[in-house]
Amino acid sequence: MRRVAVVGAGMTAFGEHFGLGIKELLPMAVSEMAAHVDKGLDRADIQAAWFGELTTSDGFPTGILADTCGLLDIPVTRVENACATGNDAVRNAFYGVASGAFDVVLVVGADKVRESSARSTFWEWAGLTRDMAWDYPLGLVAPANFALHVARYLHESPATKEHLAMVAVKNHKHGVSNPKAQLRYEITVEQAMNSPVVVAPFNLYDCTPQSDGAAALLLVSEDVVARYTDRPVWVRGVGLGLDRVMHQHKKDMTTFPPTVKASKAAYAMAGIGPEDIDVAEVHDCFTGVELISYEDLGFAEKFGAYKLIENGVTSVGGAKPVNPSGGLKAKGHPPGATGVAQCVELFEQLRGEASNQVDGARTALAHNIGGPTAVSAVTILSSQQG
Amino acid sequence: MTTVAAVGTYLPPWGGARGRVLGPDEDALTLAVAAARAALAGAGPELDVRRVFFVTRELPLLVGGNGAALLAGIGLPDDVSVVEQVGGGPAVFDALAGAEAGTLVVGVDAAETGPVGAAAVLVAVGVGDGVGVELVGRVVRSLPVHSRETGGGVRDYSDARLERERGVGVAIERLDLPDKPVVVAGLPAKQARALCAGVPPTLPTTGASAALFALAALVEVGAGGLVLAVEQGSATALRVDGVPTVHRDEPALLAPEKLTRTPGPDIAISLAAYERAFDAKLRWDAGKCDACGTLALPPRRRCINCGSEDGWSLTPLPRTGEVYTIVTVHVPVPGLPTPYSLAIVQLDDVEVRALVKVTGAPAGTVQIGDRGRLVLRRVAVRSGIPDYGYALYPDTADAAAGVTEGAVR
Repeated sequence: MRRVAVVGAGMTAFGEHFGLGIKELLPMAVSEMAAHVDKGLDRADIQAAWFGELTTSDGFPTGILADTCGLLDIPVTRVENACATGNDAVRNAFYGVASGAFDVVLVVGADKVRESSARSTFWEWAGLTRDMAWDYPLGLVAPANFALHVARYLHESPATKEHLAMVAVKNHKHGVSNPKAQLRYEITVEQAMNSPVVVAPFNLYDCTPQSDGAAALLLVSEDVVARYTDRPVWVRGVGLGLDRVMHQHKKDMTTFPPTVKASKAAYAMAGIGPEDIDVAEVHDCFTGVELISYEDLGFAEKFGAYKLIENGVTSVGGAKPVNPSGGLKAKGHPPGATGVAQCVELFEQLRGEASNQVDGARTALAHNIGGPTAVSAVTILSSQQG
Repeated sequence: MTTVAAVGTYLPPWGGARGRVLGPDEDALTLAVAAARAALAGAGPELDVRRVFFVTRELPLLVGGNGAALLAGIGLPDDVSVVEQVGGGPAVFDALAGAEAGTLVVGVDAAETGPVGAAAVLVAVGVGDGVGVELVGRVVRSLPVHSRETGGGVRDYSDARLERERGVGVAIERLDLPDKPVVVAGLPAKQARALCAGVPPTLPTTGASAALFALAALVEVGAGGLVLAVEQGSATALRVDGVPTVHRDEPALLAPEKLTRTPGPDIAISLAAYERAFDAKLRWDAGKCDACGTLALPPRRRCINCGSEDGWSLTPLPRTGEVYTIVTVHVPVPGLPTPYSLAIVQLDDVEVRALVKVTGAPAGTVQIGDRGRLVLRRVAVRSGIPDYGYALYPDTADAAAGVTEGAVR
């Protein structure tokens, strides 16, 4: 396989874009990416595209991407893999280049969550992930899917609800300097602990907001990288992991096996381990998920995640900064865009251009978990070619 | 002469001074199933049920059918006949009087306004298998002081004296009873007292179920006797030869939860998925792998353990278990009353967990490690169709339930 580099990255701000449809968000993200390619991009160079979108807004996704971004003469493939869609789109595009099939490809992720009424969103989204006869009618709202894990995790580990609040406080603080973030304000542990209960044990500040947005990356082969930049970011590892889809079939709910499988695959491909990661964007759709993921990604020992958040290890300035962008919690979470936007953030981190820069970051990891909790995708990026 | 093998009763835990009320996940069918299972528990496993009379004025569906769900919930085969009958206390006694062996008569009151409850009686084969019941008299008259139209519109003529004197009064006069009843179903306690020999027990309901709660009340009377069921202008009287076996599923009273109901679009249903899942979901059966015997809920083509795709068969699941994890949804959910608790329950003695709602206890009061039993409830109403499944009834809320008493013959 050939080496693959990211040479351009861009995204829209995340937020409730009532005034912008998917047909606006997609060209905005792609054009911002193109404008940030160091040596410029002739759009005619793009040979193929992978588009991650979890839902469909305004029609069928690949056609809309091709039509709205001026890419009518290349193949476009839609990737849908629940909340792991973004990093899985990166993974598929990576193989398109690494295989030798293409030299220059586009990865786009987007979703318009706030396109349907708040009342109809829940049942529409539940239908995407739940068994129609057995689980769907139970009212397993998105936070409940993850809360079932976190409730058991809090029962078995020394972590407490206060540790969940600390994750929210950290990610809100990180998001303040990010111009693309949806929630750019700091909160306190007390505020988080006293906010309204959404799904116990999650309060309001344990949950990601609902977001619209799009993000784009340009991936190229090592053969043509010099045409676009002298400071590429290399895709060193990709991985995808799955699990049983029904919660009642998951033996140990204090861990997410898909994350363990996806990260193991990505670490193996990169030839590194968790100790080599300088900065990570971790799927904190709910605060407790970030804690469990520290353990699944190998950043902490089993049930030791609380120590990392308690001691500031995962804050910017700590030894293992997590979610310098603000994470899903503060930056926002349009599912298809989320994983791609994590790579946008890490592209900037690894080039020393991030708004909340981690000093000397050389190797980074992006992580999604979704489906609820049945699929994970991990991408490892590095300024080092390897 | 009809022989009563056992009476079963069920009351929801929710209610107050004016009687019990439906839980958000209950309807006439779930009440009927609870009472029928109580009657079967009281009678023991030997009796072969061949027909069911489901008597209520609150049938969940008028078109679409309740019979299959009733049989599945009770655990009866699907070739048992079901009569869905709109009626009150006299209709229940009419169904019981002269019923053949193997008949299960269930009376249910499930009006939104309450009081609600359900009771069931099982007819035994021989005289020695229970307590004899005989029709004394029946009179069918019209005095619609209270009425309900097909569409649900309720009207009340509001004339209690007319109802008492020209309704019940004339009906009893016409029956020309040989002696005073010991229990009367269908009347307020004070009126019932005036008609009875001695002080009759107070019954929890006044409609179809009240007739069978009256049979159960013979335990408190301590002897058999004349039992009367009345409804506006009509009445049926039975003579009961002794005190029947009674199995009560009557949990302690809880104040109803303050629930938020959020309007929204219909909850979608796939009737194809409904039909495929029906037997396992309503009978609480797992799929058992033909090759290795591993149980799967829901049943699945490829065995979750050995990977065999050679086949499986339905097998009953244990109905008790322990909470592995639990959460409580507080955020408003369109179409579902909130808050509600969702639990993953580890079933006893098998490698099977179930994802279910909690019933019979206020949301948020059940913890990891708590134990309970699995009971049939209405999980949701989806595009007008009641969607039944199982819910966890925690033991903590259940101390007073499951008591068998009586049987003085």
